[in-house]
Amino acid sequence: MLELLNISFAYEGAQAVEGITASFDRNQLIALTGPNGSGKSTLLKLIARVLAPRTGEIAFDGKRLRDWPAKEYAKQVAYLPQDPDPTFSMLAIDVVVSGRAPFLGRFDWEGDADYDEAERALSVCDAAHLGGRYLDEMSGGERKRVFLARVLAARPRLILLDEPLASLDISHVQQFSALLRDIVDRTGVTVVYATHDLNWAAAYSDRMLVMQRGTLARDARPSEVMQPDVVRELFGFDAQAVAMGGRNWLVPRVNS
Amino acid sequence: MSSAHTHPRLAGAVALLALLLALALILASSAGATDASWRAALSGDVTARAILIGIRLPRALLAALVGATLAVAGVTFQTLLRNPLADPFILGVSGGAACGASIATAAGLARLPGVVPAIAFAGACGATAAVFLLARRREYTDPTRLLLSGLVLNAFFSAVILISFGISRQSDLTAALRWMMGTLFGATWNDVLLLTVLLIISMVTLATIGNDLRMLAFGEDDAKSRGVNVERVKLIGFITASIVTGAAVSVSGIIGFVGLLVPHLIRMMWRRDFRFLLPLCALGGGVLVVLADLLSRVVVTSSELPIGAFTAVLGVPFFLTLLRRNR
Repeated sequence: MLELLNISFAYEGAQAVEGITASFDRNQLIALTGPNGSGKSTLLKLIARVLAPRTGEIAFDGKRLRDWPAKEYAKQVAYLPQDPDPTFSMLAIDVVVSGRAPFLGRFDWEGDADYDEAERALSVCDAAHLGGRYLDEMSGGERKRVFLARVLAARPRLILLDEPLASLDISHVQQFSALLRDIVDRTGVTVVYATHDLNWAAAYSDRMLVMQRGTLARDARPSEVMQPDVVRELFGFDAQAVAMGGRNWLVPRVNS
Repeated sequence: MSSAHTHPRLAGAVALLALLLALALILASSAGATDASWRAALSGDVTARAILIGIRLPRALLAALVGATLAVAGVTFQTLLRNPLADPFILGVSGGAACGASIATAAGLARLPGVVPAIAFAGACGATAAVFLLARRREYTDPTRLLLSGLVLNAFFSAVILISFGISRQSDLTAALRWMMGTLFGATWNDVLLLTVLLIISMVTLATIGNDLRMLAFGEDDAKSRGVNVERVKLIGFITASIVTGAAVSVSGIIGFVGLLVPHLIRMMWRRDFRFLLPLCALGGGVLVVLADLLSRVVVTSSELPIGAFTAVLGVPFFLTLLRRNR
């Protein structure tokens, strides 16, 4: 579905992403991890067409990104930035239905079909009851669900989420991770999400991409990444592995 | 909620504000220091006709147009810059106009008809271009730099205005000060025509980019990922709002507060996106300035008070009431 071929990007001289090659198929939950500043957000922005690679090529369905009309591509690939809160408070249903924007003509307003899609997306995210509430009256977890619904409202085939679990408490992290897994399994969509939480990422995702200083250091199954020697090398994180339920969990090694 | 509920709500809101505007216009054109009724004017009374059709009606209509223009510019700047404090004045647009007008006054050009407004308009356009160029880095326009450039240029314009006033002739100063405080005295049908055409063009332009502009509410990255050409939308929105602000300021002088206040008032009553707010701000801005202008000329019969003071007097209590109710 999506091919990255040797892509690089630099912000005013500072190299952010370098020589990344990878491909994504349908029906996968992919965790994008790596230390702060390793290029995760930049990579997501390149795929979302927020930024254009300086070198290399990205292709979706075999067609280069620059050959896709912007709105057509936006129907296929939806991106959720880290902090998308609107400047002025809005009703959740209005936030979600704005996810239908790529389908609207210049002077069109959202129609019944768009509102139906928005309501469907809210129920997929267990947030049907939030439609009539204002964003600024919601908890962080509820807001995340509304924004996930906004992304789903366009029925995209590829979803890119930049740190959707950040600032959630542990029970919401679990609920949200399970929700992502469920959406992938039910709809066949592919979700790529940036996260710092290795244990949750490994527990729910099919594949982990680990970035390091702008390069793709590892593209592997979770079981291959969740090894003490691997995380020490990639994250500088001193951990011990605890095997439970057929998989490794990483616990920090505390020197007392 | 479905779209079946969206359009009647917009239609209802537009109808309500249009009715208010019509009432305000009737009131403003009927009231004044001299007795003149619409009945007398329509039955052929020459004096009544001269007062109502020659003076009060164009003035009331111009007030509505200036208010509409400033409010439309305000809601556009707030949406564009994602900043609730943005208004047509903070970006230096009106400062540029005032600067042009005060230099023209100092140069003794104030007595030539039409010169001050023309130079004021040129000043507004010059300030817009300067702010925009200062805020541009490579192919990107940074909203924070835009606001900062506007603030700094405003300080510079204030200095130039003070110096100009210092060297202006005493006899020219009264008119210049009146202009600085905002006045619709001497409004003509030509002004009405000019501003009507500009307002229509700008509203159509903004409606054309409305679907894209409202997506900026979620941030520029989000909008780009939704297929919006963000730089193009910012450029069109900024230039359109600046040009109409320049035109409004050139005919009315500086009427503060409308561009900031009206979008917030409308947003408190109807919390919706830019496409919804655009027509409502135009109507709401019109109502506010028509009423403020009416008060400015009837509160004290011997002279005219600044309109800008009355936009605040009328708007602030209403604003505070809504603010209290919404929290």
